[in-house]
Amino acid sequence: MKNRGGGSAFKIAAFLVPVGVLFAAFFLYPFVFTLFASLTRWRGIGAMRFIGLGNFSRLLGDPTFRLAIRNNVTWALAAGFIQVPLAALVAILLARRPRGWKVLRTVYFLPNVISTVALAMVWSALYNPQYGFFNGLLKLAGFEARNFLGDPSTALVSVIVSSVLYIGYFMIILLAAAMNIPQELYEAAKIDGANAFQQEFLITLPMLRGTLVTSITLAMAYGMRHFEATYLMTGGGPAYATTTMGIDLFLKMDALRYSEASAAGVFLILLGTVVIVAIRRILGTKDPMSEAGQ
Amino acid sequence: MSKIYGSKGPRLGAVLAVILKWAVLVFFLAVAVIPLLWLVLNSFKTNLEIQTSPFSLPARPGFVNYANAMAMANLPRLFLNSVIVAVGTVVLNLTASSMAGFVLAREAWKGRETVRTVLEAGVLVPILAFMVPYFTLVTRLGLYDKLVTLVLVYAAINVPVSIFLVTSFMRAIPREMEEAAIIDGCSFVQRFTKVVLPLSRSGLVTAGTFCFIYAWNEFLMAMLLTSSISARTIQLGIRFFTSQFITDYAGMFAAIVLSILPSVLAYVFLHNKIIAGLTAGAVKG
Repeated sequence: MKNRGGGSAFKIAAFLVPVGVLFAAFFLYPFVFTLFASLTRWRGIGAMRFIGLGNFSRLLGDPTFRLAIRNNVTWALAAGFIQVPLAALVAILLARRPRGWKVLRTVYFLPNVISTVALAMVWSALYNPQYGFFNGLLKLAGFEARNFLGDPSTALVSVIVSSVLYIGYFMIILLAAAMNIPQELYEAAKIDGANAFQQEFLITLPMLRGTLVTSITLAMAYGMRHFEATYLMTGGGPAYATTTMGIDLFLKMDALRYSEASAAGVFLILLGTVVIVAIRRILGTKDPMSEAGQ
Repeated sequence: MSKIYGSKGPRLGAVLAVILKWAVLVFFLAVAVIPLLWLVLNSFKTNLEIQTSPFSLPARPGFVNYANAMAMANLPRLFLNSVIVAVGTVVLNLTASSMAGFVLAREAWKGRETVRTVLEAGVLVPILAFMVPYFTLVTRLGLYDKLVTLVLVYAAINVPVSIFLVTSFMRAIPREMEEAAIIDGCSFVQRFTKVVLPLSRSGLVTAGTFCFIYAWNEFLMAMLLTSSISARTIQLGIRFFTSQFITDYAGMFAAIVLSILPSVLAYVFLHNKIIAGLTAGAVKG
């Protein structure tokens, strides 16, 4: 139906202009710019001087950045292999529609609409050595108070816990997929004498495979780009114990080391892509992005 | 649930399974709710109560902490800034995305699928990596420390998600609706404003809600691209102006509660749209 009321090439193009401008300015240009700036020596003013891959070798030799990569990998693993499995567990339980499942689903997602700033301040307060919730519990149980976020040995775990237990996002995705599984499969299994556990293991989990791979991929990609909660709760400290690539990028930029910050940006994009491709390969789903939930 | 047989074993197992199930569900309920309850509770306590009895209820609950917060931290101005930024983001993003969504979903042209794929792939890009170009672009254009800058940046960052949502809603509109409109003499623009736009209202509300919550909650770009009270948002306010609260935790908690109210309210009224939007993403990827 390309006739009356149809758009001429000009009209179609005109309708694409607003999105085109926004996308070009804030996706395409920054992408090209970052790639280019990472190959130069540049401090924000004056001309960029091309230096090849120098920023990258410097970055990889930087102990702080290596620590940041390690912390990001820890975040990615925690998100992919703790957060997503917990979300899957809850999704499978809710898919059986227990009493109040809709309310539970809504409440589980609530923290996801609250700003990281607010959550980080609340969790910092919960971890506070003087008046915090967790030290209140420790004291009640007769233990010494701890400085969870100030102690390099507990800081990373404490920040990760404050974020990984919020399962709402992946739970909703997995629940939708679980509810899409045809009911007849369970009926048939019941007739064959399979109990509830067997049904979940033999039907639900295999049927959720595609969505699970997508969720793990997304969770790990988010882990590789983790920034806000850590920046707000510890600033990357104590002694860089919780720093991430994003925090390192921000600090480099703050110190006007623009070209190194750009190299860190390229690294961030690259590692994120590697994670996505690697997880697809390892978990063996050809195209999780389109296969999910179908 | 599992069948209950005559023997004791399976029955005990079934009871245990039910207990375990509810233990898991209640645990995650507590994780979602307790930090927030603790926050709200503390916002009604005195500073002394917060320090000495962290688990007790406030002895004389009142709104004095809220009054202090509003008075101390430039909160009303920051709040207004956030409202302007969030509403501006929703309007700009929905205008741009619905126009593009219309020609992506309802017109056949060469390169359409490529354009759609590129736009939607934007979701995979870590925006974090673009701190340097965003900052230099914004300063060069003379847009540093302006509310309109945050509107532009947030509207742009939400383009991939909105395009995905709006396009999939617009695709589902039956052809006949548009054909009838064309026979009635509707022009290209009228097809958009009178037929497709009203029929995809649900998708627009979903996309708009995502935009609003994103813009209300965003922190990093606001920190990077603004510096004065005239352009800073509430998130920066409760982050940086809390130095004023160094001895007044109760006032700080009250300010945080105020800062989360708009997105919580949006969620309370529109949670079905939000969940539907996330689910659409799940089913399609």
